[in-house]
Amino acid sequence: MTTPRWLPWVWLLPAAFLAAFLAYPLVHLATTIASGSGGFALTRLASPALWQVAALATVQALLSTLLALVAGLPIANVVSRYRFRGRALAQALVTVPFVLPTVVVALAFRSLFGSGLPQGFLLVVLAHAYVNLAVVVRIVGAQWSQHDPNLENVARTLGATRWQAFTDVTLPSLRPSIASSAAVVFVFSFTSLGIVLLVGDSATRTLEVQILRQTSVLLDFPGAAASALVQLVIVTIVLLAGAVATRRSPTRVMAPPALRPVPERGLGRAAVYATVMFAGVIVLAPVAALIAASFRTSSGLALSWWSSLGSVDAGTTRLGSPAAALATSFGFALLTALIAGVVGGLAAVAVLAPGRARLVSVLAIVPLGVSAATLGLGLLLAYGRPPTDLRDSVLLVPIAHSLVAVPLVVAVVAPALRGTDNRLGVVAASLGARPTRAFLTTYGSVLRVVMLASAALAGAVSLGEFGAASFLTRTGSPTVPVQIVRLLGRPGEQSAGVAAALAVILVALTLAVVLIVDRIGRSELGTAS
Amino acid sequence: MTPRLETRDLALGYEGEVFARGICLSVAPAEIVAILGPSGSGKSTLLGTVAGVVPGMGGTVLVDGRDVTNLPIHRRGVGLIFQQPLLFPHLTVRDNVAYGLRRQGVARDEARRRADELLDWVDLHGLGSRRTHELSGGQAQRVALARALAPRPSVLLLDEPFSALDAELRRRLATDVATMLRAHDVAAVHVTHDRAEAESVADRVLRLDELFG
Repeated sequence: MTTPRWLPWVWLLPAAFLAAFLAYPLVHLATTIASGSGGFALTRLASPALWQVAALATVQALLSTLLALVAGLPIANVVSRYRFRGRALAQALVTVPFVLPTVVVALAFRSLFGSGLPQGFLLVVLAHAYVNLAVVVRIVGAQWSQHDPNLENVARTLGATRWQAFTDVTLPSLRPSIASSAAVVFVFSFTSLGIVLLVGDSATRTLEVQILRQTSVLLDFPGAAASALVQLVIVTIVLLAGAVATRRSPTRVMAPPALRPVPERGLGRAAVYATVMFAGVIVLAPVAALIAASFRTSSGLALSWWSSLGSVDAGTTRLGSPAAALATSFGFALLTALIAGVVGGLAAVAVLAPGRARLVSVLAIVPLGVSAATLGLGLLLAYGRPPTDLRDSVLLVPIAHSLVAVPLVVAVVAPALRGTDNRLGVVAASLGARPTRAFLTTYGSVLRVVMLASAALAGAVSLGEFGAASFLTRTGSPTVPVQIVRLLGRPGEQSAGVAAALAVILVALTLAVVLIVDRIGRSELGTAS
Repeated sequence: MTPRLETRDLALGYEGEVFARGICLSVAPAEIVAILGPSGSGKSTLLGTVAGVVPGMGGTVLVDGRDVTNLPIHRRGVGLIFQQPLLFPHLTVRDNVAYGLRRQGVARDEARRRADELLDWVDLHGLGSRRTHELSGGQAQRVALARALAPRPSVLLLDEPFSALDAELRRRLATDVATMLRAHDVAAVHVTHDRAEAESVADRVLRLDELFG
């Protein structure tokens, strides 16, 4: 098939976007720091306070990872190996915490435990393990479902007890997936912002929180740069270690063994169902507590927080009404879906282009490695003041959210395009279709589906994003997550109640988007491929 | 003489449904019995039930005259070889063979020394430090045989052990295995759908449907 004449040039727009809104702000940030009066950032690396935060965040992330593994491994075993009614539902349920906005998770955990026992550091660890349960269940479960149960049976006939068979045979063959999921959970927990801000005490910090404080409260930019540098180095080391552990896996993938039936009786059967119940309870309890909190007032259950969503004085003087925040968030989500859809879509189409144009699809992943706070700060310094003050243009937040969402769009669209059979286009061309027509015949239907799905995901990302938005939203028109955090910073039960109501709405919106995307993906992609 | 393996009135089932009852089978010391049956006829379920891998549906399994029906897999003294070699991918060839010895409490060095002897004996001299994915299909199945024999099981069950190999290799390996089993005085039950293979290996060939009561 002859390629359309425009195909070699699709990289232009994504490249320009990344240059203007990622590369330039970061370079700008670096030069601002280097030339600042506070001294060069590197000298700040000697600060003991910095290393104290780094050490605490490391311990916190290690504990979060350990807890996510301990809770996630049994669930991964059950949902990826056994056949039972409600298995698909259980699998979907476990994914819920991961797609919820971090601010919502934080508030849900506060609602669940109230002034009860786990506070501060411990609650942060619990919340991180909760969010990342899906990472462990999905990544380890995928490998576990490939694992032939007869390997354990062989070990058993050679004299191993059930537990020895697990530690000698099962665990070593799951090691690559355990390592890579642990690396991901560690990085998420280590760079966490919203959860630590909302449920941590003043002693519990991550470097990400430190960066936010240094830039917005202390105005210590060299210090922030040093924090960002240390964070970047640690994250890189952990991800590399995860990648190395993943590569050292001699396991050969055969046809996955069939799902097995739940044991007929006895302990085995009880263990399977207990694990499913356990998963359901830990996933749903915080969400239920959040919903309850949105109805609870000092004079019993009432709808007052919900009915005051539209009023300006809902404990939120100077913030605008919660309903206005919803409108703002919704508008930003639509713009993000549009921008990230177009930019990410074109970057993904570049994988089909000849030569170096393909590089842009790799570069589009880069924003993933830059923390949200750093992105927000960079954009604020570069475009938040004259001569280029974009803050009034409503575009700055959607642009920041698009940077966060573009890697996701590329990750969804590019593999779908690569996996599409291009012989349809060859047939179309042989029937006289022009190159562009033939291209659309081949990729049109797949593109329509995956673009729709990924744009919706980008919208969902925007709805829940907190880090970058906290730098970029104007005081008068916050997004919902920013509004929630501000409300929680105020005293009074009304602030807390309205925040809970807003969080419930975010939960509903996020779940709706994810369900729709899942539906689209399953029905249409199934027929398209 | 006490049979190495005996089943009395054994019932077979899959996911709670019984599909065969009254199976009585007896294997004398050093005897190799082949059981013939088409695929899907329940041969694997029979071996799995004897080994304890598949839940029993009634009846008794005796190994060396001892009732093992309610014992867990690892205390039955039964070795099992599958169609796939199922070598442990994270261990070397030598440590695969030494695995059962280690579980019996044999010290590491001694277990490795005996593993090397067994490897010599299955014609894999010098391959002990290889990784399992470096082996050919026939070599891997020989390692599986050495591994199963190492802890000296009372009876060895072979579940279509050669059917994943090509015809020429299958014939050669079948003859070799029969020789090795006899040299080690091991009683074995070998199930297959291939009559020629059954006859070349076994002292006695039974049809599976003859066993069903």
